[in-house]
Amino acid sequence: MTPLQTQLPTWTAVAPTLLLGLTALVLLLVDSIDPDSTRPGALAGIATLGSLATLAVAGWFLLAGTGQTGSGGAIELYGGSLVVDGLSLFFTVVVASVVAMVSLASYDYLRDRTYQAEFYSLVLLAATGMSLMGSSGSLATVFISLELASLPSYALVAFLKDNRGSVEAGLKYFLVGAVSSAVLTFGISLVYAATGSLLLADVASAVGSAGDLVGIAGVGIVMIAGGFAFKTASVPFHFWAPEAYEGAPAPISAFLSSASKAAGFAVAFRVFAVGFPLDAVVPMGIDWSLLFAILAVVTMTLGNFAAATQENVKRMLAYSSVGHAGYALIGLAALSGGGPNGNVMGASMAHLLVYGFMNTGAFLFIAMVEHWEVGRTFEDYNGLATRAPAACLAMTVFMFSLAGLPPFGGFLSKYALFYEAIQGGFWWLAAVGAINSALSLFYYSRVVKAMWIEDPTGEFDLGATPVGLYAAVMVAAVGTLLLLPAFGPVVETAQSAATALFA
Amino acid sequence: MVGAFDYAPAIVLLPFLSFLVALAGGKYLPKGGAFGGIAATAGSLVLSAWVFLTVSAGNAYNETLYTWVAGAGEETTRLTFGLLLDPLAAMMLLIVSLVALLVHVFSLGYMNDEGETGLPRYYAGLGLFTASMLGFVVADNLLMAFMFFELVGLCSYLLIGFWFRDSGPPSAAKKAFLVTRFGDYFFLVGVVAVFATFGTAKFAGEGAFPVIAEEALAGSAAEVTTFGFAPETWFTILGLLILGGVIGKSAQFPLHTWLPDAMEGPTPVSALIHAATMVAAGVYLVARMYGFYALSPTALGIIALVGGFTALFAATMGVVKREIKQVLAYSTISQYGYMMLGLGAGGYVAASFHLLTHAFFKALLFLGAGAVIIAMHHDEDMWNMGGLKERMPVTYYTFLSGSLALAGIVPFAGFWSKDEVLYEALVHGLGGSPLLLAGYAMGLVAVFFTGFYTFRMVFLTFHGEPRTEVARDPHGVRWNVKGPLVVLGILAATIGFVNMVPVQDLTGIHLEFLHDWLAHGELSALTAEHYGELLHDYAHYTSADVASYVAGAVSLALALAGAGLAHVLYNVPEPTEHTAKLGAVKDLWYNNYYQDEYQIWIATSVVLPLSRLADKFDQGVVDGVVNGVSSVSLFAGSRIRRIQTGVVSNYAALLTLGLTALLVVFGVLGGWFV
Repeated sequence: MTPLQTQLPTWTAVAPTLLLGLTALVLLLVDSIDPDSTRPGALAGIATLGSLATLAVAGWFLLAGTGQTGSGGAIELYGGSLVVDGLSLFFTVVVASVVAMVSLASYDYLRDRTYQAEFYSLVLLAATGMSLMGSSGSLATVFISLELASLPSYALVAFLKDNRGSVEAGLKYFLVGAVSSAVLTFGISLVYAATGSLLLADVASAVGSAGDLVGIAGVGIVMIAGGFAFKTASVPFHFWAPEAYEGAPAPISAFLSSASKAAGFAVAFRVFAVGFPLDAVVPMGIDWSLLFAILAVVTMTLGNFAAATQENVKRMLAYSSVGHAGYALIGLAALSGGGPNGNVMGASMAHLLVYGFMNTGAFLFIAMVEHWEVGRTFEDYNGLATRAPAACLAMTVFMFSLAGLPPFGGFLSKYALFYEAIQGGFWWLAAVGAINSALSLFYYSRVVKAMWIEDPTGEFDLGATPVGLYAAVMVAAVGTLLLLPAFGPVVETAQSAATALFA
Repeated sequence: MVGAFDYAPAIVLLPFLSFLVALAGGKYLPKGGAFGGIAATAGSLVLSAWVFLTVSAGNAYNETLYTWVAGAGEETTRLTFGLLLDPLAAMMLLIVSLVALLVHVFSLGYMNDEGETGLPRYYAGLGLFTASMLGFVVADNLLMAFMFFELVGLCSYLLIGFWFRDSGPPSAAKKAFLVTRFGDYFFLVGVVAVFATFGTAKFAGEGAFPVIAEEALAGSAAEVTTFGFAPETWFTILGLLILGGVIGKSAQFPLHTWLPDAMEGPTPVSALIHAATMVAAGVYLVARMYGFYALSPTALGIIALVGGFTALFAATMGVVKREIKQVLAYSTISQYGYMMLGLGAGGYVAASFHLLTHAFFKALLFLGAGAVIIAMHHDEDMWNMGGLKERMPVTYYTFLSGSLALAGIVPFAGFWSKDEVLYEALVHGLGGSPLLLAGYAMGLVAVFFTGFYTFRMVFLTFHGEPRTEVARDPHGVRWNVKGPLVVLGILAATIGFVNMVPVQDLTGIHLEFLHDWLAHGELSALTAEHYGELLHDYAHYTSADVASYVAGAVSLALALAGAGLAHVLYNVPEPTEHTAKLGAVKDLWYNNYYQDEYQIWIATSVVLPLSRLADKFDQGVVDGVVNGVSSVSLFAGSRIRRIQTGVVSNYAALLTLGLTALLVVFGVLGGWFV
């Protein structure tokens, strides 16, 4: 029997992305029809349903093999500017999962705030951009989708307009983002100058014969890498991250540090794997995998070391998010001409999926704590488990999973990542990653210790249970746990999707 | 058809069930859960008897029941649980379940009637102990045997330390645990080595490790990994590693020191430990894998020498003890020495025979001693007893039956089996293995000492005039004490008749039923016949022609001489201590050859400084490095934090500088600007 989606017109392959954009428009429509009354339940519901629908369609496509090697390979649209394949669907799944959890949690977080419809539609527009980033087949779409993801993000970080921290963080994020966009655009223009094309496939075939223009191509490639480093919060483009994550509303921190980072990796994976094949560029002296190896080591080390000395839990998580960008960069670093590149990159993709759950959950827990107005430092968390054991148990799951301890999803994903790096011959990257993981256990366990072992310093007045937040945190916790047994199929899907890029 | 073998797992599971019941609901049950234990062990006994009958009909059972670790692929090692029921296992099942049943019944008198507290814990311990030993007996592979072996050790720890509020029992329990664990350490290494060598640890059947070892020595085996050693040498090393566990559990020199201290436990537990479970496990293990040991004359020689030496060594120490249970403890060590001597000397049947008879007469003696201890209000010093013969006749006559068996006086059980052990050592020694003659000599001298200390104990306890008020008016004992004593008393007197080799040699009537029982079977690799061939082919044991009744007469004479000396010295109305006449030897014996002292010396002067050194290394180097790393990390972290100034123009500058640095480095490395 022919699968259903092969009978559909090819443009339906971007249906997940379209669904996200459509949901954003529906939200705006609802708001313009009835701008005065706030219906938090309806808005959060629409956003959650839209993202769940996206998740369902993307998951269906992914399982049914749309755009994958089994059923005719990648689907190209608009002359190859958009590509739908395993990688783009995989990252759409990641983004949609995170958006669903964030929308669910925002229901409580945004209670009594104005501009709720704008909030949700901005989130979904950013998600549309992120989903599109994974599908970008040309450097022009890369830039446009990246900006589509970034611009709503700036506004979202500054969403708490009467909060100085939020506004300041939004401005800093915007400024650093502007610089990074400039770098990226300049890089794209240089690559265009050297190769004469923006389509990744054409770039790939032309870059090897750049000849005298190798310097231009090289500078362009490094600058493009810089633009992606901004999106993934990697050194030296990470400066915005701690500020933005700390100042932004906690659900937005979750959204940016999980979905936005994943999307940054999605576009980086595609552009570098497809556009600048290692076989062609390394002989010319453009060894971008070495570049990413350096970035990976510096990023994970800096992120983890800085996280170790924080007093503010949210800021600690922000730096830990920088550290995790370093781990995921291994997917771009542990590559070599003819090596098992698809396996390494696939492991990195799988890690980003698991990370989407555990990190979103951790930030949503922070959102819950902010909702309770408990405080921001480790000391403020002392003895929290006596009042909110279920939530603290979930947070413990996130912390240990982030640190990479069994029996949680983060253990297997990190293990697979390091294992594949070793298989690819990059044992030293894996070693640095393992040492950093050991260090990370220090600051993650500080949270657990504060919650479970320390005595409360004062009385907690938690008030009513935030249902949406609780549900979102629990979904994330269950996801983190379930990804341990389900990790096998996940990593296989990711690895076959990544292998298709290198083919 | 459903046969006995289908129910065989229940033999192990029933006592385990009673453990669970006693543990969970013991305090709500009458008698602290005793009846559950009695019912379970009775059930095990009935099933064991059924298995015994089925095995008698020429059947055997060797099946893997559960694979708990299986490697991927065909040719990988699998870790399994299974049952191996052959004549040896069937015999041992009967012994263990019978003794366990009697001990449970006896405990009603010793623990319940004496108003002890913590009875659910006690009966749970007994249940688990019995289950572990039964599991060990039926184990079909070495790893499963090891696991149950360890469980047995754990249970002995729990039960020896039953009265944990006193000072003695906990330290005795710890000692038992640690000393046997020292031996088990070697055993574990041996188990791993067996897996590494043969890829399997099965005792019997296709591709069992003794079979592969035999084929390897015969040169027809597929492949064994011997780690660069000649196969003979490597198999000897393996055998000796496993022997480490045996020496610990069966309390052989030099790891026997835990056993006398273990007398701190309740007396029924001592009976169980000494007769049927813990101590018997070691010897049973050697018998179980005798097909492996029979391939290595060196290992056999060491077993025989250790056994013979232990038999004599422990017997001498038993001579001077004041407490009734201490005498019995040393007699246990000594008797297991005989079994080891028998195994080492090629007397598989003889050793199994002695294991059988000893189980009954030693259980009897301990339970008898328990009855005496009840009567004496928990005073164990024999010098406070005397004259109990008239006041507790049932105990006296059954105890006498056990003593005659222990001393080896014809026709009681111990005579036949001990005599056969010595006979095997003698004939194989004369037949060209002179090493065994040394073992034989030591065993023979020990016979004299055994006779002496046994009857010293009997006379001091039961004969003469009562020496204290308590002994004049002892506490009575009930049916639940007398019943087990009578059963065991009869067995101690008669069980030897299953294998009367000297009588057969004299009269020509066929009387060696145990030989027949163990010689044949469906699993031909596990029969005494096969072991005999192995011993002849690989260990080069040959038998000299000595009449068994001559050897028997010699040992009987020595036993009688020992008993007679005891009679002269102690069977008087007012016996006095004669130990002072021994002079310096008395001190030596009384202090157990200073074995404890030298082991403590090793612990304090060798192990402790080493541990301190390791601790220093740990504290200084390892912790130092760890602490150093952590303070360096925190310092670096606080520095890295400062990069994040909060000023956005600094960020832009750093970002640009970083990108420029990357561009320059890669540009120069890649030669872009040339």
